[in-house]
Amino acid sequence: MKMKADVAVIGGGVTGLSIAYNLAKQGIEKVVVLEKRYLGAGSSGRCAGGIREQFSTEPMIKLARKSLDMYEKLSDELNFNILFRQGGYLFLAFNEDDMSEIREHVRLQNSLGVGSRIVTPEEAREIFPELNTDGMVGGAFNRRDGIAFPFPVVWGYARAGERLGVEIRKFTEVRDIIVENGSVKGVVAGEERIDCDFVVNAAGGWSKKIYEMAGLKSFNTPVKHEILATEPLKPFLEPMIVNISAGLYFNQSMRGEIIGGIGTHSEPSTDVSSSFEFVKKFAREIVRLVPKIRGVKVLRQWAGLYDMTPDAQPVLGETEIEGFIQANGFSGHGFMLAPVVGELIAKLIATGKVDPLIRPFGFNRFRDGIEPEHTVVG
Amino acid sequence: MGRLQEHPVVQFRRGKKVTIYFDGKPMEAYEGETVAAALYANGVRIFSRSFKYHRPRGFFCAIGKCSSCMMEVDGIPNVRTCKVYVRDGMQIRSQNSYPDVNNDILGVFDRLDFMFPHGFHYKKFIRPSFLRLFFVNSMRKFTGLGNFPKEEIKERGREETLECDIAIIGAGPAGLSSAIYAGELGADICLMDENPRVGGQLVKQTHRFFGSAEHGAGTRGIKIAENLEKKVREFDNVNISLNTGVFGIYDGTIGAVKDNTLIEIKPKKIIIATGAYERTLIFENNDLPGVYGAGGVQTLMNVYGVKPGDTGLIVGSGNVGLILTYQLLQAGVDVAGIVEAMPVIGGYFVHAAKVRRLGIPIYTSHTIKKAYGSKRVEGAQIVALDDKWQEVPGSERDISCDFICISVGLSPTHELLYQAGAEMRFVPELGGFVPVRNRYMETSREGVYVAGDAAGIEEASTAMIEGRIAGLDSAIKLGYGDKEAEEMRDKFVSDLEEMRRGPFGARILKGLEKVVV
Ligand SMILES: Cc1cc2nc3c(=O)[nH]c(=O)nc-3n(C[C@H](O)[C@H](O)[C@H](O)COP(=O)(O)OP(=O)(O)OC[C@H]3O[C@@H](n4cnc5c(N)ncnc54)[C@H](O)[C@@H]3O)c2cc1C
Ligand SMILES: Cc1cc2nc3c(=O)[nH]c(=O)nc-3n(C[C@H](O)[C@H](O)[C@H](O)COP(=O)(O)OP(=O)(O)OC[C@H]3O[C@@H](n4cnc5c(N)ncnc54)[C@H](O)[C@@H]3O)c2cc1C
Ligand code: FES
Repeated sequence: MKMKADVAVIGGGVTGLSIAYNLAKQGIEKVVVLEKRYLGAGSSGRCAGGIREQFSTEPMIKLARKSLDMYEKLSDELNFNILFRQGGYLFLAFNEDDMSEIREHVRLQNSLGVGSRIVTPEEAREIFPELNTDGMVGGAFNRRDGIAFPFPVVWGYARAGERLGVEIRKFTEVRDIIVENGSVKGVVAGEERIDCDFVVNAAGGWSKKIYEMAGLKSFNTPVKHEILATEPLKPFLEPMIVNISAGLYFNQSMRGEIIGGIGTHSEPSTDVSSSFEFVKKFAREIVRLVPKIRGVKVLRQWAGLYDMTPDAQPVLGETEIEGFIQANGFSGHGFMLAPVVGELIAKLIATGKVDPLIRPFGFNRFRDGIEPEHTVVG
Repeated sequence: MGRLQEHPVVQFRRGKKVTIYFDGKPMEAYEGETVAAALYANGVRIFSRSFKYHRPRGFFCAIGKCSSCMMEVDGIPNVRTCKVYVRDGMQIRSQNSYPDVNNDILGVFDRLDFMFPHGFHYKKFIRPSFLRLFFVNSMRKFTGLGNFPKEEIKERGREETLECDIAIIGAGPAGLSSAIYAGELGADICLMDENPRVGGQLVKQTHRFFGSAEHGAGTRGIKIAENLEKKVREFDNVNISLNTGVFGIYDGTIGAVKDNTLIEIKPKKIIIATGAYERTLIFENNDLPGVYGAGGVQTLMNVYGVKPGDTGLIVGSGNVGLILTYQLLQAGVDVAGIVEAMPVIGGYFVHAAKVRRLGIPIYTSHTIKKAYGSKRVEGAQIVALDDKWQEVPGSERDISCDFICISVGLSPTHELLYQAGAEMRFVPELGGFVPVRNRYMETSREGVYVAGDAAGIEEASTAMIEGRIAGLDSAIKLGYGDKEAEEMRDKFVSDLEEMRRGPFGARILKGLEKVVV
């Protein structure tokens, strides 16, 4: 059997589904999303839901800022309540080096119009009174940052896309990409060949394999990132809290659970098993920062993949293979970038125009110098 | 008032009298009682309110498996009160209710349920956006169970690492038997149970056991537990750790919590003997306080000597339901009847005959349709079933009772087996998800064994033999024991086959065919 599509999107995560929805919105008729498992089976269904514009490089700040603007209106656009809540992001530093980085970032953010501000430990306690400020040097706060619940974002994009004619195939694995004379001709999905002019690699932690199918060597590497949820409690925490010195972050979900993670692994792997080491490390660090949380029980833990790049920033746009489009390498930030990435990648496919916001994230940039993103947390 | 003073079989040795506070109100309790039992004895039926509809919640299983009994204890939220003992001056608070748990104004949500179908929060109140923001913010206030702790726990947390030959999780008849037989061979053993005492389900079985004499029949369950405990405590190489809940198995490493200590156990072999949990049944108001698991009622009555109510209705006529009926009558509690969906009684004839002699009606081909009451059970309605399991219209009848015991079977606990990476299968004959295993009870994950109800719902007698086999085989694989031990192990395997040869074993054998490799 053979099928013809305009665009085949590989990956039914938030990125792929946002791209597919935006393609349909731009009037592309035959868009098919190919997902090897179920929607949200990758990192999108495993993430913390954090959305922020406090970044450390100009391109990331601009891109994230636009995405945050879009998140503010996303429930209306998708006609699906994504439970978006703007409680802010509070970054905290426990040594001088981290604090001076934060100061530098805030300066850059402010120069680009982001309303972040430096806070003293006392001011941090005003924002979240349960904080233990021993050893805290200071931090930064941006009221406009927030969180959304990941599942309705995934489902909302899928439903809105399907309403516009997007075809979503679950449990359909892409096994090969057909390239002839330097341009994409189709993909092999399950038992079927699908002819198409564009293939979008939105395969998250598996993006490296997709590059290889097209014969490209990528710089992406998957790394396990673990996370946990406690029992649900009455609301007591507004912002996402990030201890940048410990790599710890946590927020309180709409259900009331404390959801949080801490960097534990760095070796490349697509394993997503949970580890004892992680719960212990997370518990130690969060108790140090919020001593009363010792009475709160962990309900469950799980893990997902960060698709890492050398500069911890995404790969967006075209490659030397015509029609082979990238939207991957999001490290810990793919959820918050999905709205803007969807819109601009769709625009690129529909019009051929590379938006200035995504231009800095080209696939070929690793051949030049690298300026890494410093705040790789949720 | 709610405590039994006399009992023909059990003598309740209550500890020192103490005072606990329920929402600020002082109440009498005795050391050695769980918070749930003590509150119940003081007439408290509603412990908290539910998450969404603010329906009243009491206890259900009384063994820490259902989370129905959660309350705030000394400032810590969501404590399963059926698992903590009272302490003098303890402050216990209900959760999720205002102004108090008996009169919760948000109980109106229960009447407005048509407004909140499943998933409503994604699909309703989206536009206009200012209303959505209001809604999201308001909804947030209603989420969560319990409050963030007001005080810091003063005692510091500790960490401990243990190594042993065999870690046994669960000290019911299966786990205890594993420990005794592997201990005998000299293996270094760590036996853990989340309960404060060993014996598992046996500690509430005040009746004489059925089965063959060789395996404890004719002896009361509580006595079997005592015998096993005495035996296991003879071994210096068996380290018994109670109040120790195992929460995870990570690639062969066990994570457990005991009071304030996080324990990391690195064993060479693991035996999972975590038993089962009670099933519930779907009918109107099945969540009212007063609807309990049969085992929950047994725990309350036979372990803590607290009366569950005045008149009970039993749902399910298997051995558990029949025995419970008899035990209730023994404790001076009335039983309005036993309801059984099948056309025949499920349990052994001897038990049924005894119950009939005592004049308790058994309604076969009947089921429970609803429970009456708004804050606690005030009665029940039962209905006849035809041969296609459909309700017979007009056959409804009201039963007067103030509590309902659900004894419709157990399901094996499967969580730790999944975590350990064992291959699992759904086998209805064995009660649910059970691991694939060989005849020596080793699962598809090398070095991980299963025994007892966790391997499939059966009886204490078979649980004990499975425990012995798992204990012997794991020790033998580690180089303990000799030819004789192997022969003993193989003899137990054939004993098991022998025991299952009776009419009640046929179903089990059919189930085992699907998982024994
Ligand atoms: C624990 C954790 C916390 C995080 N917290 C945040 C946060 O707070 N904020 C934030 O912005 N980001 C966060 N992230 C990162 C974020 O989750 C990801 O960047 C984002 O979900 C990536 O979405 P995606 O759609 O690109 O990839 P994914 O969601 O991983 O989707 C890729 C999909 O592709 C499918 N696929 C793979 N190969 C094939 C194939 N050959 N054929 C067909 N389908 C295939 C996979 O099954 C998968 O469903 C977190 C990540 C983790 C793991
Ligand atoms: C009312 C009733 C009457 C019965 N009558 C008879 C009878 O007459 N004859 C007969 O042979 N059988 C009878 N049985 C069945 C018998 O009681 C069970 O088959 C037997 O107790 C199963 O033993 P077990 O060791 O597998 O599990 P259990 O006895 O349930 O023990 C499991 C233990 O594991 C512990 N545990 C579970 N999870 C964890 C964890 N994560 N961490 C630490 N510890 C954990 C539990 O606390 C528990 O102590 C009866 C059962 C009931 C309910
Ligand atoms: S957990 Fe306490 S009653 Fe079930």
